[in-house]
Amino acid sequence: MEANAIVLDDTAGDVVVVVVEGEHDIYTAPTLRERLDEALSRGGGIVVDLTAATFVDSSVLGALLDARRRALESSQGFVVCVGETVEPGVQRILDITGLVPVLPVLRGRDEAIEAARSNGGDG
Amino acid sequence: MSDNAPAPEVVLNMPARAEGVGVVRQALAGMADALAFDAAVLSDMKMAVTEACTNVVVHAYDEGSGQLEVQMLAGTDDLTIVVRDHGTGIQPKPARTEPPALGLGLPLIAALSDAFELRGTAGQGTEVRMTFAYERDGDPADSNPVSGQVGDDGRWDPGDPPA
Repeated sequence: MEANAIVLDDTAGDVVVVVVEGEHDIYTAPTLRERLDEALSRGGGIVVDLTAATFVDSSVLGALLDARRRALESSQGFVVCVGETVEPGVQRILDITGLVPVLPVLRGRDEAIEAARSNGGDG
Repeated sequence: MSDNAPAPEVVLNMPARAEGVGVVRQALAGMADALAFDAAVLSDMKMAVTEACTNVVVHAYDEGSGQLEVQMLAGTDDLTIVVRDHGTGIQPKPARTEPPALGLGLPLIAALSDAFELRGTAGQGTEVRMTFAYERDGDPADSNPVSGQVGDDGRWDPGDPPA
């Protein structure tokens, strides 16, 4: 199993979950952008699940903000989620950049999927 | 180096490429483990050093043509980490294929480190020097909060946040 995987989970139907695991920085940000592009191209809501992520840097935040902007432009729901406990390498950058309410970041994948369904502007 | 500066403990020198940034984090984790750093400070160190190394990878050189140099200097009260390039100075490289950087690197370094210094002159490279105390008096992010917010274009706007 790949340590720093980024995979799409479409079992929620109309919302695609981009599952991000491990450490991510400028090296893996292009892969994240590809996965986000693929998720956006499906036309439904998008959830980025950082529950199993252990580290993300500003390259990752840049990719998330770009995807969020494009989702908003095309009325697709976009939500980031974390688990009950969040690695300091993820929580800290979200906290000090004030991006929790902006992206937005919710706790729990199910809640995030529901939110992505309802914040797309057409659901 | 002046007489009272601590001796280098770890020196890394590698091609300034994206895949090297994670290697620097691994080395830093090993160094911090030996120094019994608090997990929260280690997390801040990893993030600040990642941003400094990313700046070198993205801004310092034309594609694949320069070195990334990292020094970790353990002092009595703190660990100083120096990230250095020998590039053309701080300026974006418009010809690069990566999406534009978010512009958060230096604000994050300032917020996460207990002290931070940027040295550089055009044509002679850039040096980012970050210091992390073994025992912190407070959260440096309280003293140097990340300024700016997400702008209307979805990118980081370093301007003043709303009152």
